[in-house]
Amino acid sequence: MKKRLLSMVLVLVVMATLLTACGGKTAADGSGTGSGTGTAKTDDKKTVKITYFNTSAEVNEMFEKMFKRYNELNPNVVIELIPTGIGEGQQEKLQSLYASGNAPTFMNVDPSNVIEYQDHLVEFTEENAPWLSLAADGTVEQGTFGGKVLGAPWSVQGYALLYNKRVVDQIFGEGNFDPTSINTRDALEEFFKKCEAAGVPATMLHGANWSLGGHYLTLVYAVQGPKTEDGTSFIDKIKSGEINIEDSPIFQGYMDTFDLLAKYNYNKADPLVADFSRDAQAFAKGECATFFMGDWLWTTLVTMEDIDTEYGFIPVPWSNDPNAYGNSEVVMVLPKFQCVNKSQNTPEQQEAALKALGWMLTDPEGQQFFLDAGFYMPYKNVRKDIKYNSMTASIAEYAQRGKTINLGVFSYISGDVWTETGNLMLKYLAGAITREELARGINEYWRSTNK
Amino acid sequence: MNGSRKKLLNNIGSFVLFMGPSLFAFICVLLIPLVYGIYLTFTNYSPIRLTYEFVGLRNFQAVFTDKEFWQQFGKTLVYVLYSTIFCNILAFLLAFLLTGNLRGRDFLRAGFFTPNLIGGIVLGYIWKFLFSNVVTKLGEIWDYQPLKTSFLTHPERAITAMIIVTVWQYAGYLMIIYIAGFVSIPQDIQEAAEIDGATGFRKLLHITIPLMVPSFIICFFIIISRGFMTYDLNLALTNGQPYGSTRLAAMHIYQKAFQANEYGIGQAEAIIFFITVAIAAVTQVLLTKRFEVEA
Repeated sequence: MKKRLLSMVLVLVVMATLLTACGGKTAADGSGTGSGTGTAKTDDKKTVKITYFNTSAEVNEMFEKMFKRYNELNPNVVIELIPTGIGEGQQEKLQSLYASGNAPTFMNVDPSNVIEYQDHLVEFTEENAPWLSLAADGTVEQGTFGGKVLGAPWSVQGYALLYNKRVVDQIFGEGNFDPTSINTRDALEEFFKKCEAAGVPATMLHGANWSLGGHYLTLVYAVQGPKTEDGTSFIDKIKSGEINIEDSPIFQGYMDTFDLLAKYNYNKADPLVADFSRDAQAFAKGECATFFMGDWLWTTLVTMEDIDTEYGFIPVPWSNDPNAYGNSEVVMVLPKFQCVNKSQNTPEQQEAALKALGWMLTDPEGQQFFLDAGFYMPYKNVRKDIKYNSMTASIAEYAQRGKTINLGVFSYISGDVWTETGNLMLKYLAGAITREELARGINEYWRSTNK
Repeated sequence: MNGSRKKLLNNIGSFVLFMGPSLFAFICVLLIPLVYGIYLTFTNYSPIRLTYEFVGLRNFQAVFTDKEFWQQFGKTLVYVLYSTIFCNILAFLLAFLLTGNLRGRDFLRAGFFTPNLIGGIVLGYIWKFLFSNVVTKLGEIWDYQPLKTSFLTHPERAITAMIIVTVWQYAGYLMIIYIAGFVSIPQDIQEAAEIDGATGFRKLLHITIPLMVPSFIICFFIIISRGFMTYDLNLALTNGQPYGSTRLAAMHIYQKAFQANEYGIGQAEAIIFFITVAIAAVTQVLLTKRFEVEA
């Protein structure tokens, strides 16, 4: 009898802990992300509670501070940040928020997300978003899909061949190197040869599919023409079978340049290691002269010690015609957009989100948060006296001269596209397939997608 | 009448008391999602679209034309086969050695078991560092060409790397089960065998191994089912690289659903995968059970 009693007590204890464990979990969940839409309706009418989903994981803190300040200025609006981590499955998190009916009121997402979620998004018009008229020329167009402005731009990034100024100055002598002189493939090769002659490995490719598929191969689509449609119609033609990618001289040109980069690659011995911090460190310590990468590299470099700080961009020329589009330009891209959700939020919430967005992007106080974090904002009223880091400054300099490649086509390159075609590029880099097989693979990939 | 009714109520009461909580959890987190998941394979569901409709068996058709999936499925089979073999051999040997009178026995046992306490993600990152930095450095020091480039940049060697890490991770865990098996063999049978003249290898083959079949069943089951479902290690160690050649089935399904946004197809693949794993695991248990003997 005693034994039975003991076991009963044990069972009860186990059950109690189980139940409290479950209870604790749900309570925690409730106070977390889920409450955003639920409480807004029942709370007193004056306070509007809205949620913000952020995929720029490196600046979660910046948004947190920004929203705190906004709440001080507008006590009746509470913005709750839904942060994400780097490599934490951001897309999946967003999908689950939508699937569970807890879509964030507004969010900072990739361009491809804007296309995917377009049925859910508020169209920006002059009435609901007058502040958007302050956006730099051409940037609103990139946030326009199906004739509707769905994404508000907020930061500009660029990529091409980064060069380490200290290393290049050592090779060419102080001030003797003119980055604009690299506007043909031959000029690039000449430059590489000089680097090698001076005993410095000339360049570096980061052997990851996002870099080679998402960035390098995308150049082939973007350089088809200065307008986004030039690139998308090129892709459409590949999809329909009207043309093959290998028929494009631009593809052949970029692959010739790619062969050149691969030949002088610092990582040539084992090109697919793709250790980002190792590559970044090697470049920043001047172990190689150039690196195919973008200005986001800066956020990685600031965490390192004993490194160079002066960098600049040179274009990735695809032919020997100095006047061809793409040969003297660097890529400028709007990597993220701000969107407002309409499908799962009340009109009051949408209105509050639109107002908050206007403050964040165009009010001097809101902009300061972005500028302090080192972002280059495509808005006309941004302070002119900002000192950017050398990489961003180089991109800005190209932008001022109008020497940028429009990467609007990037919006149509979703995660699956760059992983699959990027894997093909890696195979090519490793020498596992020929250029014909690479082209065939890319054609096949596009034809297998019916989106 | 009244008595039997009371007894019935009593039975139901104790059933609810003992089975209720786990049954409730089982239904909520396993049964309902499974059934709902099967239902979703017949639709073109996506959390992004506002509505979805029935598409019949089209998702399953797509699975059978998805060459990539079957390729990765084949690779998963190879991976499971090799990790099952090497894991069990190593675990058995370790258990055999560590049930003898060895100095520092308990310390060694604990040491071999430790990898199992580290999560797959952490383990993956540790070994990624070892394979791409430490092993390549050793290759340079010894001037041995095959070690100079990372294991993780060649399709075959990357799979080998995954098998090595899996064996390292699970051998200690299986070793504990084998040790339990060794210890539970009755002393009198062993003595009887020795009196009959069976020593060393003969004793191992005819007495020890047959009596340890239950341990083998458990160990094979654990490693087969875990091997099929490997995802964390795959993600942290290779993330499908080089060029997508080491995406095991689970990772392929995940990417199909969440990156290519083909939820229906991904879910259909998951169901097919589930059935295969279930069949493999059940067959293994039934097959090995036939070797079980009574002491």
